[in-house]
Amino acid sequence: MNERIKKLAEITLAGEMYPQTVAVEYDREDLFLSPVAMSAKRVCEYILAQEPMLREECAMTGHLIFDGTVEGDIFGRKGHLAFQQAKKAFYKSPLHNLVTLEWQHSTANFEEVLKDGISGIRRRINASKQFHAEDGEAIEFLGALSDFCDALIGWAHKCSHKAYALAQSTGTQKYRQNLLLLSESLKKVPEHPAESFYEAVLTVYLCFSFVPDSIGLADRYLYPYYQKDIQNGTLTKDMAKEYLQELFLMLQSHTPKKWSNFYRGGESHFAIGGYLPNGEDGFNELSRLIVEALMDLPTYIPQISLRWTKKTPSEVFRFMMDCERKDPNKRIAFVNDEPKIKAFTEYLGMPYEDAVNYTMVGCNEVAFPGGIYMGSAQENIVRSLARTLHERSDALLSCSTFDDFYQIYEKELFADLGEILDYEDKFNLLRARDVNIVSSIFFKGCVERGKSVTQGGATVACSGIDLIGIPNVIDSLAVMKQFVYDEQLLSMGELLEALRDNWEGHEDLLALIQKKGNFFGNDNEPSNEVARRFTGSLYHYLNDKRSMFGHKYLAGNLIGYHEHHKWFGERTPATPDGRKSGEPFKFGLGQSGGHDREGLSALLNSVAKCDPHHILNGPTVTNVTIDAQLVMNDEHFEKTVKLFETYLQSGGIHFQLTYVSKEDLLRAQEDPDSYKHLRVRVSGFSDYFVKLNQALQDDVIARTTQTR
Amino acid sequence: MKATIFDIERNSYVDGPGIRTTVFFKGCNLRCAWCHNPESQSALPQMMFYKNKCTGCGKCKEKCPNHLESCELCGKCTIYCPHDAREICGKEYTVDEVMREILKDKVFYENSGGGVTFSGGECMLQIDFLEEILKACKQNGIHTAVDTAGNVPFECFERILPFTDLFLYDVKCFDSEKHKRYTGAANELILSNLEKLLKTGRSVWVRIPIIPSVNDDEKELQHIRAFLRSCKYPEKVELLPYHAMGEHKYAAIGKEVKMFSVPSEEKMSKLKKIFL
Repeated sequence: MNERIKKLAEITLAGEMYPQTVAVEYDREDLFLSPVAMSAKRVCEYILAQEPMLREECAMTGHLIFDGTVEGDIFGRKGHLAFQQAKKAFYKSPLHNLVTLEWQHSTANFEEVLKDGISGIRRRINASKQFHAEDGEAIEFLGALSDFCDALIGWAHKCSHKAYALAQSTGTQKYRQNLLLLSESLKKVPEHPAESFYEAVLTVYLCFSFVPDSIGLADRYLYPYYQKDIQNGTLTKDMAKEYLQELFLMLQSHTPKKWSNFYRGGESHFAIGGYLPNGEDGFNELSRLIVEALMDLPTYIPQISLRWTKKTPSEVFRFMMDCERKDPNKRIAFVNDEPKIKAFTEYLGMPYEDAVNYTMVGCNEVAFPGGIYMGSAQENIVRSLARTLHERSDALLSCSTFDDFYQIYEKELFADLGEILDYEDKFNLLRARDVNIVSSIFFKGCVERGKSVTQGGATVACSGIDLIGIPNVIDSLAVMKQFVYDEQLLSMGELLEALRDNWEGHEDLLALIQKKGNFFGNDNEPSNEVARRFTGSLYHYLNDKRSMFGHKYLAGNLIGYHEHHKWFGERTPATPDGRKSGEPFKFGLGQSGGHDREGLSALLNSVAKCDPHHILNGPTVTNVTIDAQLVMNDEHFEKTVKLFETYLQSGGIHFQLTYVSKEDLLRAQEDPDSYKHLRVRVSGFSDYFVKLNQALQDDVIARTTQTR
Repeated sequence: MKATIFDIERNSYVDGPGIRTTVFFKGCNLRCAWCHNPESQSALPQMMFYKNKCTGCGKCKEKCPNHLESCELCGKCTIYCPHDAREICGKEYTVDEVMREILKDKVFYENSGGGVTFSGGECMLQIDFLEEILKACKQNGIHTAVDTAGNVPFECFERILPFTDLFLYDVKCFDSEKHKRYTGAANELILSNLEKLLKTGRSVWVRIPIIPSVNDDEKELQHIRAFLRSCKYPEKVELLPYHAMGEHKYAAIGKEVKMFSVPSEEKMSKLKKIFL
């Protein structure tokens, strides 16, 4: 990190690079306009009224924040009234103890903006206007997009002027050069195609504010510019690193310091490596530079996933694991292309060349360039099991085999999944009342369809449903199969009674189950088989379902920043896995809370084998807590690298690591001041342990620390 | 054919190269004063009782068919003790049963250059079973290691030589008198077996536990080194520092523990240099 970046990093971490917004007084006669026309007019006025965030140390600018007075970016959705209402009503409040509402993550089509510039997009808007000439609504919307393009270019020019003015006043020669280059470049990009690596990064920097989520596959779309400039000698590796670092600092600055999310990498997550359309592994020199650039920075945002493929060289995987173990801010996770690409091509039916372009977004969702990830609400997957056990006892008592029982359960499961999908559509309809102007040009399809991204204008590859409590369901089913049917150690009647009594007066039975249960994560065949059967049910139900926008669903097990595992748990009665009424759920595969006792290889085998249909390739996390010695001791580290590489070869979808002991976490709860710097992986993001809410802290504590 | 085994540990990093599954055989013919697995010494399954975990709730007595007056190792008390204060150490396994566990991690062995390690106790004391299971491993293409203290007739080595890729061979001290004092047996057989084994050209890692006041002086280790030099020098010599992690297990099987101090890191790195 050079002096300039060091300085910028300091300012960033102090929260001082967060752009201050300039309030705009809109003409009240705007209200006579149609909603779309009014929104477009005000959006443009707002953008052009903002003051560029620029200091003399900067070599890039154009970062802005929407203050909520106009319909802003698609991620924050500030100013989107229908979304704000829905968020207030449903975001943190489970509906019927079954569903909640979430963000919709996305990534812009940066590759297109780099290649064609905004002027290219404007040409497409004009062509679309001719195509939709008869459709008044589309014409109005496309007109709004044209205006937005003008405002965006106007904004770039305003930034250019400010850079020029600052160049005149700075006393540092090097800064002056940077600012002059910046000023010149902004006269060209993003209006016109980028031609150098610097211009390309600057374009991403400036456009990010309008789709402030994932920067997508940066190691792919920036690579041609990088290669060209390195070859013709106009760029050095150090310069490239500096530009990337400035971009990353802006991503950190997009979240205000007063928000707890400032410390969470999930605010901006992207992927490197992975399969290329030609079937080769895409990890290149720039991918490595991106990681090195980020690892130098003392920041929390963004986080990176390595997309591992069977062709990823072992040396690359080892490099990433090494960075991961040395990164105090825990910004690296790992995802497996093999099951993902299979799910996208075979299950979603995408062409291979498109499927390989996915990136990780948010905590751990997937998105494609210029694509949005619809849905993604947290759902209670234990409710249907609890209903079966607590409300269908007559039917259950006449079951003589596990298969009989499973049929009854599966009907309840399907009924809940149906209700979940109905609500997803309702949420989408509700959100479709908003018309988005500032993000739509960055998505594939909105211009051509003449439709806002909120209304299904963008091409959506899939939707994800976050099923909270999957470990509880699998363990409950496995325990029932074992004790009631296979070993016949207890009758269904006894079990149901124990559940009704919330295990009170049945402590012996509870102890027997806890000690002898075939819990998931121990690589025993009975529990692996039950897990496969359950994921198979998800697959069979979801396979022929489509959302109102026509796309399919993938499932996952992710929670967001909130305590859904606690909220759902509070309202759900006792379950056969030994969970008492009101106790929180588990969410990640690998968070079995002491039930996984056969060591890491057993846990990883169980996880890798549980989903032959690849239905869990939605927002799936596998959080593994391991003893620090397994990575900090160099000899052990080499074995741990091989261990996780083998897990990926066996088909494991994802993993991320935390190195901490239960004792440390308990001490941290008691004495937060002494453990201020302790960072852990939570759901799909990492955070300071002491900053987490109680329910998330308790979940991290309950996870098994694998010592071997 | 069955063997008494007290643990099968998957994903072991410390018993040979790569990722391994270690199978611990029960029963040993040495009684090393510093043994960290005292429950491995007796050849029979036995009950372990951790007094420090017991709250005296009486659940075990209630569930025991004999009300704890005698023990048939039925295991009921271990299931119903709410505090994990009771545990049965040792269970009989068939070759197939052990192989099933071993095969689960085959992919990890292959990718990491690992395999299976038979340890103990002294696994060579159940040589018939050991020979069978080593054969089965080789049939499945799995790398095999045998961890032994070597206090058995050399015929035992000869029987398993064709199926063993690596020997982890413990040498405790050079002086036979001292050896007898601390382990209960002289070391002539152990050293002559090692010499013969090294001559066969098999891969051998010699492992020396470093026990302060017993063998942590340079002179002692120089003797061992000279002896190894006079034979065919092994592929690797590992020095393992004494640790006190087995302490609580002595009480659990009703034995008295002898404590040693833990060697410092400086001391260990100094001693390691002797074998470089």
